[in-house]
Amino acid sequence: MHTIYKILGIFLIFHFSFFISSCRHDDVIYPTIGTPVTEEVREGGLYVLCEGNMGSNKARLDYINLETGTYYSNWYGSQNPTQLKELGDVGNDIQAYGGRLYAVINCSHKVEVMDRQARHIGQVNLPNCRYLAFQGDKMYVSAYVGSVADADLLGSVYEVDTATLQITREVKVGHQPDELCIIDDKLYVCNSGGYVTNRYDSTLSVIDLASFTEIQQIPVGINPTRLRVDDQKHLWVCCQGNYNEIKPQVVVVANNEVIQRIPMPCSNLSIQGTTVYVVDNEQNTLNTISTIDYQTAAFVFQNSNQFEHLYGLLTTPDALYLTDAKNYVSSGLLYCFGYDGRERWKAKTGDIPGHLCRVTGAYSLYGDTIPVPDNQSPFIHKVYDYLPGMGQFVNELPKYEEGDDAASMCRKCEQALCHNAKGTVSLGGWGGYITFSFDHTVYNGEGCDIQILGNAFYMSGSTEYGSSEPGIVLVSRDDNQNGVPDDTWYELKGCLYDDPLTQHRVTKTYTRTGDTLQNPFHQHPYYPQWLTADQYTLTGALLPPQSAVIGTQNVQRILEYGYVDNKPNSDIEGTSFDISWAVDETGQAVVLDSIHFIRVYNAVDEVLDQTGELSTEICGAIDLHINN
Amino acid sequence: MIRRYSLILILALCAHSVFAQSEAERDSLLRQFDIDEVEVTARALTKDVIVPQTLKGEELQRLNALSVADALRYFSGVQLKDYGGVGGIKTINVRSMGSQHTAVYYNGIQLGNAQNGQVDLGRYSLDNMEEIALFNGQKSDIFQSAREFGSAGNVYLTTRKPYFRPNEKVHMHAQMRFGSFALANPNVGFDVKLTENMSLTFDAEYVYSNGKYPFRYKRVLPNGETAYDTTAVRQNGDINAVRTELGLHHYYRTTGFWRVHAYNYYSERGVPGAIVNNVWRNGERLWDRNSFVQGQWQDEWFDRWSTRVLLKYANDYTHYKNYDERLLPSDNEYLQQELYLSLANKVQIFNWWDVSLAYDYQFNTLKKDELVTGLTDERFTRHSHWLSAATAFNIKEYLRVQASVLMTAVDANTPRVTPGIFASFRPYPKIDLSINAFYKQSYRYPTFNDLYYTDMGNASLRPELARQHSVELAYRKTTKQFDIDVSASYYYNRVTDKIIAYPKGQQFRWTMLNLGTVKINGVDAKADMSFFLPMRFVLRTRLNYTYQTAIDVTNPNDTYYGHQIPYIPWHSGSAVLSLDWQSKRGDHYGLNYSFIYVGERYGQQENIIYNYVQPWYTHDLSLYGEWGINNWWLKANIEINNLLGQDYEVIQNYPMPKQNVRCTLSIRY
Repeated sequence: MHTIYKILGIFLIFHFSFFISSCRHDDVIYPTIGTPVTEEVREGGLYVLCEGNMGSNKARLDYINLETGTYYSNWYGSQNPTQLKELGDVGNDIQAYGGRLYAVINCSHKVEVMDRQARHIGQVNLPNCRYLAFQGDKMYVSAYVGSVADADLLGSVYEVDTATLQITREVKVGHQPDELCIIDDKLYVCNSGGYVTNRYDSTLSVIDLASFTEIQQIPVGINPTRLRVDDQKHLWVCCQGNYNEIKPQVVVVANNEVIQRIPMPCSNLSIQGTTVYVVDNEQNTLNTISTIDYQTAAFVFQNSNQFEHLYGLLTTPDALYLTDAKNYVSSGLLYCFGYDGRERWKAKTGDIPGHLCRVTGAYSLYGDTIPVPDNQSPFIHKVYDYLPGMGQFVNELPKYEEGDDAASMCRKCEQALCHNAKGTVSLGGWGGYITFSFDHTVYNGEGCDIQILGNAFYMSGSTEYGSSEPGIVLVSRDDNQNGVPDDTWYELKGCLYDDPLTQHRVTKTYTRTGDTLQNPFHQHPYYPQWLTADQYTLTGALLPPQSAVIGTQNVQRILEYGYVDNKPNSDIEGTSFDISWAVDETGQAVVLDSIHFIRVYNAVDEVLDQTGELSTEICGAIDLHINN
Repeated sequence: MIRRYSLILILALCAHSVFAQSEAERDSLLRQFDIDEVEVTARALTKDVIVPQTLKGEELQRLNALSVADALRYFSGVQLKDYGGVGGIKTINVRSMGSQHTAVYYNGIQLGNAQNGQVDLGRYSLDNMEEIALFNGQKSDIFQSAREFGSAGNVYLTTRKPYFRPNEKVHMHAQMRFGSFALANPNVGFDVKLTENMSLTFDAEYVYSNGKYPFRYKRVLPNGETAYDTTAVRQNGDINAVRTELGLHHYYRTTGFWRVHAYNYYSERGVPGAIVNNVWRNGERLWDRNSFVQGQWQDEWFDRWSTRVLLKYANDYTHYKNYDERLLPSDNEYLQQELYLSLANKVQIFNWWDVSLAYDYQFNTLKKDELVTGLTDERFTRHSHWLSAATAFNIKEYLRVQASVLMTAVDANTPRVTPGIFASFRPYPKIDLSINAFYKQSYRYPTFNDLYYTDMGNASLRPELARQHSVELAYRKTTKQFDIDVSASYYYNRVTDKIIAYPKGQQFRWTMLNLGTVKINGVDAKADMSFFLPMRFVLRTRLNYTYQTAIDVTNPNDTYYGHQIPYIPWHSGSAVLSLDWQSKRGDHYGLNYSFIYVGERYGQQENIIYNYVQPWYTHDLSLYGEWGINNWWLKANIEINNLLGQDYEVIQNYPMPKQNVRCTLSIRY
């Protein structure tokens, strides 16, 4: 019988191991992480609407801050984490108009209305909607089906009041209307008929905006899908043909008449100045047509690029943006090209990056505009606060002089720390802190982001013991965009964070009258002399004592990672910090894409016989993402 | 005219036709004729070269499972795709090679779907099932039809067979099942002994469920705050289905028998669809009728030569209509027909050496009618031929080897030859420990959809090739107190020329291409144990664990190169624990607990956070009792599924039911 119980035991262990191995957790909506893609600075930003495959609910809106060259994937999701089932199923068009963004989500049957930073404002439910056009306070949306089912499968164009987001009028057009545009008081929409194979439509519907009726149908060619207008009010239409013996062509329409037919493969087009750019995604080439003499030429890519499936296209005065949809079921690529044909940068997108929209004004994740100095410095730029705990080096590092106040002490700290000055600032006794920033936002990139220098060293012959005066790092994002560090602080979790001996949320009050700790080497006041108040209270975590006496030396155990002034500066990894270590007050990990402010405070409260109290010293900081 | 003629011919042929045989069937055959088992087994190979995973009889009834698909979750190496609810499609994928590499056999003849190659196992009820067996590679017995050598994994479904004690003439059973989501599922059946050697079985079942189950979507922010949390009710997931089956069995002499089996399944269901932003209801409806008649005749000559003939005619009708006015109105009808013929022979040259030769022929057609446009497409036809030769021999008591070679010719394609070699080595005659290994190649042919689907099909597709390598260590020990059966296997599979949809040029147009290579490495471990405890208690456990990597190695330039392919978890497993007690007068009581775990996986080719799918695991519990009164047996069973009400998805955007209950009452005579 014993064997049985043994086997039973094995069974139970086996079963239990299932539970421990890998359990479900709540599905977390993570804020986007910015990825630097270029150092070039352009004005404004660019939205990329990735379609996602039907039924996958993976329409994704990404954003590139062109002023910082940072790519943010899933921007919409980050801005609107409470939107039920996210952005939706199959993104089909995005446009900016009147201070807002509008995105057509085809299989979610809606137009999503957002502010310029892609924060949800409202939505307009429209069945099988496809593309957008705007005039005045109205939005026009083409849709494959009308509000009343039609036996002929005719589509509709809806007029929507952008103020109320209510449908105001509807007009029946041809089969499966796709792109549309407006010239004066007329709206043109191309009827593709591409829904049902072998029953392609071939017309443009002309709609009089005043009466909102279809006044004419212009035959252009089989399967028209793309429609744009140039500055001479000529319409440019991509007719896809039937993907068989009827070949695709670009058709030019002026005054409701076809004036030119240019046989060429065309899956997308965009007009810049007097040139029309046409994507051919069968050959993966980009062609150009002069709007003046209708001559075509191939756009020459100077870098030999291997596109898999060219898909989206946007031309702007300073750059040309192209997307590669790859195999349509995995991440695509966004390319930025100069008109010289040179590839400037590229970025990985979501599935099927199809639709691009340039906006002015750049936004960082939480809505603030990021200042972009000409040359970003990797070193400390500004010190906001300096308040040491009472200690032997207070009033010495930096030196207090008669008349100094908190602000001038900060300037003295800046002299010691900025621009790689390699001076030393002592944080004094436990809790003393300094708050500083770089001249730019620090992005949470791969691995460690910031190195903070101290004056720790190993005792000779050991890397386990030495002089370690650990300080804890806090980081903060300028959420309220006021440029000063008054936002939530997050602790970068070091190796002792979860140690049972570490005390969190400790407070300590220093008083002027308690200033009695002078040792023979430092016969001066320990209380910060620039303070007018007679006492001050510091808060923070208190790490367990790490001191030991080895031989005759007072040494400290070197901590594994995560503390300032703990390892020698030559150990870059050991003195660097990863923004991903950030935790909130409750110890819950938080995902920060970037930070603006850094605070370091002394986290130990020990006074040694020989050398006085342990106090964190800081000798500078370096943004590791910037080459110096 | 020709079509009508062939139909008559088929029906005429069916009158003579019969069925395949599984291990379980042989057992019941033996029981029926009271043949001395020792005599028979001494002639055949005494042990399987390929050890199948099986679930049969009582064990099958005890599981919290409604359909064959539910039961297959308890096998190792099997991944189930389940779109949720009673009516949701359920397909299986064995050892990550793709569902189309797994053949499903119903009483020995393959269930086909030439249109898309998918067999929805959610449609096959467990109520009439006697045994489900899964063979990796192929069946042990070389006496099989040629086509059976052709798939990478084989699932054999064997329906209940009549078994009469002397003086018994009739058996019958009636069952009623109720459950959550308005499940109503009555089942009746009877077996009649027509003559001493001939019997008839009948089974009929009706299933209704409104499919309105609640589901919940919850997301949180990184700080733990709720981003959204919503509960909705699944819509358009209702199902009405009727299944009827009729079987006629005739056994003559001690060696021969023939059987005819007719199957009809009719269903109407809603297709609940993906839950995406702003869409909580879909408008697709599906009507299906699957009918087939199949027969088997088998006999043995000169004590050494066995012959088997199989015949089947299947006629499957599907009507799909989308009522969602926001989408392209589609209203399509599909009619598939299949005619299948197989002739297999096995000769025992010596006691230790068998050879077999088999030839199969199949003809498939598909007719598609688009009712909206009035277009009819009848291009879809296919002739397939299979020719197999196989041999099995023993070298003393230590080694058993089976080798087969199959030639497949589909339409005018170049015939393909695929080998398979299986060996089982048993080092100690007294210890039931064996080392089994096999290598096998198999093709999966493009389906009609792959070849001819509107715009997308590609008539020049090559078949997809799977190469399997597998090693297994199996041990079994039976004592009076316990019975254990454990095994562990390692496998390496490589699937090349994988048929996938790839965008071609213009806009959103896809085509099917032979583009894809997948490398699969896996370990399956399983342990079945029974403990015969005092006081007539029996404790049974069944444990399965699978670890596998199935990585895409098509092109190093792809962003998903080296990534795990979609919906294949690294870890999966199941545990079943059941406790039975039998009273002195033979009444049974039991408690069954089962746990299924499917680990994290990705829903698309790229293993990135946006494609991540959470693990899911469910706990199911059932309690049952069976009471005998004279020759009547009354049985009651209560099941609670997803006991902890986990909100999970097997396929992204297809939510699964939370906690649900089923209650079954049955009586048999």
